[in-house]
Amino acid sequence: MSLASGLQTDCEALLRSFLETDNVRFEVFSGLWRDRRFHTIFHGQTRPLEKNKFTQKALDLALRYFLPPYSFQIRVGALYLLYGLYSTQLCKPKQKIRIALKEWFEVQKFQQDLITAQHYDAAYIFRKLRLDKAFHFTAMPRLLSFRTKKKIRETELKEEFKELNNRVSRLITNDVLEEMMNVHDHYQKMKCLISTDKSQPDKALSLIKDEFVINIKNMILEYQHWQQDKMKFFAKGKESEEMTDKKEGGTSQDSESSERASALAKIKYKSYSAVAQASKSRRHRQVKLESSESGSDQGKMETPRCKRPRVKSQLTRKRNLLEIKGGINAIEKEDVTHNRGMPVITEEENSSEEDLPRPKRRRTR
Amino acid sequence: MQRALGPLTSPCAVDMAGSSESASSKVPEYEVPDLHTRVFHVGSLGALWKETLQRADLALQEPVAEDGAAAVAEGLGCPLETAAELGAVCSIDMLKSPDKKEDPEIILEDSDLVTLRIRKKALERREETIIVDRACRQETFTYEMESHAIGKRPKDPADLIEEGELLLTLNIFYPVIFQKHKDHKPYQTVLVLGCQKLTELRDSISCVSDLQIGGEFSSHPDHAPEHISKDLYKSAYFYFEGVFYNDKRHSECRDLSRTVIEWAESHDRGYENLQTAKMEDYTFNDLSIKVGFPYLFCHQGDCEHIIIITDIRLVHQDDCLDRTLYPLLIKKHWLWTRKCFVCKMYTARWVTNEDSLAPEDPCFFCDVCFRMLHYDAEGNKLGEFLAYPYVDPGTFN
Repeated sequence: MSLASGLQTDCEALLRSFLETDNVRFEVFSGLWRDRRFHTIFHGQTRPLEKNKFTQKALDLALRYFLPPYSFQIRVGALYLLYGLYSTQLCKPKQKIRIALKEWFEVQKFQQDLITAQHYDAAYIFRKLRLDKAFHFTAMPRLLSFRTKKKIRETELKEEFKELNNRVSRLITNDVLEEMMNVHDHYQKMKCLISTDKSQPDKALSLIKDEFVINIKNMILEYQHWQQDKMKFFAKGKESEEMTDKKEGGTSQDSESSERASALAKIKYKSYSAVAQASKSRRHRQVKLESSESGSDQGKMETPRCKRPRVKSQLTRKRNLLEIKGGINAIEKEDVTHNRGMPVITEEENSSEEDLPRPKRRRTR
Repeated sequence: MQRALGPLTSPCAVDMAGSSESASSKVPEYEVPDLHTRVFHVGSLGALWKETLQRADLALQEPVAEDGAAAVAEGLGCPLETAAELGAVCSIDMLKSPDKKEDPEIILEDSDLVTLRIRKKALERREETIIVDRACRQETFTYEMESHAIGKRPKDPADLIEEGELLLTLNIFYPVIFQKHKDHKPYQTVLVLGCQKLTELRDSISCVSDLQIGGEFSSHPDHAPEHISKDLYKSAYFYFEGVFYNDKRHSECRDLSRTVIEWAESHDRGYENLQTAKMEDYTFNDLSIKVGFPYLFCHQGDCEHIIIITDIRLVHQDDCLDRTLYPLLIKKHWLWTRKCFVCKMYTARWVTNEDSLAPEDPCFFCDVCFRMLHYDAEGNKLGEFLAYPYVDPGTFN
């Protein structure tokens, strides 16, 4: 592992443990920092040039977590991390934190939010950094030297730190919905006024679906509930993963995992209960339904889990691209086929069952 | 060598991109992500930053006022008692270990930081294979060049840089073409102030082609003229975003860019709107450029250097604030000089072609060996050869 990825691992571990404390106080953060003796991350370097390079990289990494789209707690954690790294660095003169103009507006907004929310320690720390002249105010965040051949070194930062991407509700806000309702009512009234029968509009004037505003509202609500459930599921999944890893006993664990297992089994049953009839030429590869035991499910769940964070982000992105058609079942089914491992299959039909589900998945993409 | 950076293929891309937006956007943003930005006006960037920052951010002097509780309370809008507490709660001591006797050069044994484990392994490997753990000459040289001007203040206060001044970082590539430079062309890095004229940058670029002495001197080696190309051919131009900035300070300066413009306009090549301007009339603040995009500097008629502006930022208290030292060279490529073929000690000063006395063509000699081999005691020419004075690219080391 290179030094840069080691650095990323350490920073993410610190931020994750900060996230778990569910607290944004600096005392909590500094406690975590002291436990890990994070300031020693600069130790062991004797040459000034490599010290400068390493420190600059560390500050750059911490800054990326400080900017949107990360969640509020992560951003506060990143601010504390920046403060810690800047203050404990060993370079003379100190390496500065580069902030580009477009990022500075976000940062100012963030500082304002901190002050209004009365998170005085975070606001104080940002103020202190500013007074210490820890920033370089630049045009762009990194030095650009037209390296077309160099691979883009954007290492994937933690998806789970990111804020829920709620573009749907940003597009159709409450105001928009209200206005739509008003316009719709007004429209209906106008239609009534010009019709012969004043109580309801003429049949010739019915050009739109009358309940479409209500439908949109319901779709948005459904989507939001689905998103919240997904986040909860993800968090629960992580929790139970940690618990099964530690091999703790207890009924809570059993009930949680069995709950999950039954939910999974239900979903899987729905998607795999329908089996396509193979054509005559493919008779020998006809898929036969097998019922999977819930026990083996649990075992299988360990491996695809690592794929889940990446998959989740892919799916959220795709969902934003898809038009709001409603029908969460359709979305869930896609979700399932990507997320779950292979169903249990017997030896003889190993190849046949593997072939068919995979092409099915590709098509739903 | 020039494959990765093709200056004359870029105008097409520039025009295609520029035509979709009539005015250059004020806040710099990526045109090609992580590669280069859109066109923006340098001076406006400085103005935007100055608008959004406070006086204290821009100041270049040491801060005088102490950050007392009252100031904190006012700045954050919090009660005075909270402000007093904050100083203690958020101090740096909370982040350091209580053990004062820690040595920053030693890595702790029982650390859970992955970074330290990796570093420790690297150090152990160095010890095992007995690699000397001090900075080598090249690294020391690089570090010295980077940091030699940090914090310098001028003797004359009139030379002090103003607050809110912009500092541009430029990479100027060498025109040397060696096979080994195929993937990473060597460059020098220069810091330039926004208020400086283009001519100041032009004067600071030291290129070996400026020192060439033209002519064949095998018959009269002692009469090699003193004037170098720099004095003879003074024309030069910069090319930024469709405008050629020509050096017109001296009467003998010609417009080298006219050739390019005529060529561009001759057939329907799609490179329209190339303009000319005078280099001495423009400062860096007046330019509209892209950060991270290659531009051109041409002198001596055909010696072309690629220039990339890698960074623009506000000047900081820790920078060198002496205006007379700018344009400031902070990185230089160390070019190994060619040594004399005979003694292998001195840098070559002569190069010969079609030399019957030399084992290879071309062959390099230092002054002493050249005369000893090619001329007798009376100074008569021995054998047939063509001799030219040679200036090694590594002369500026």
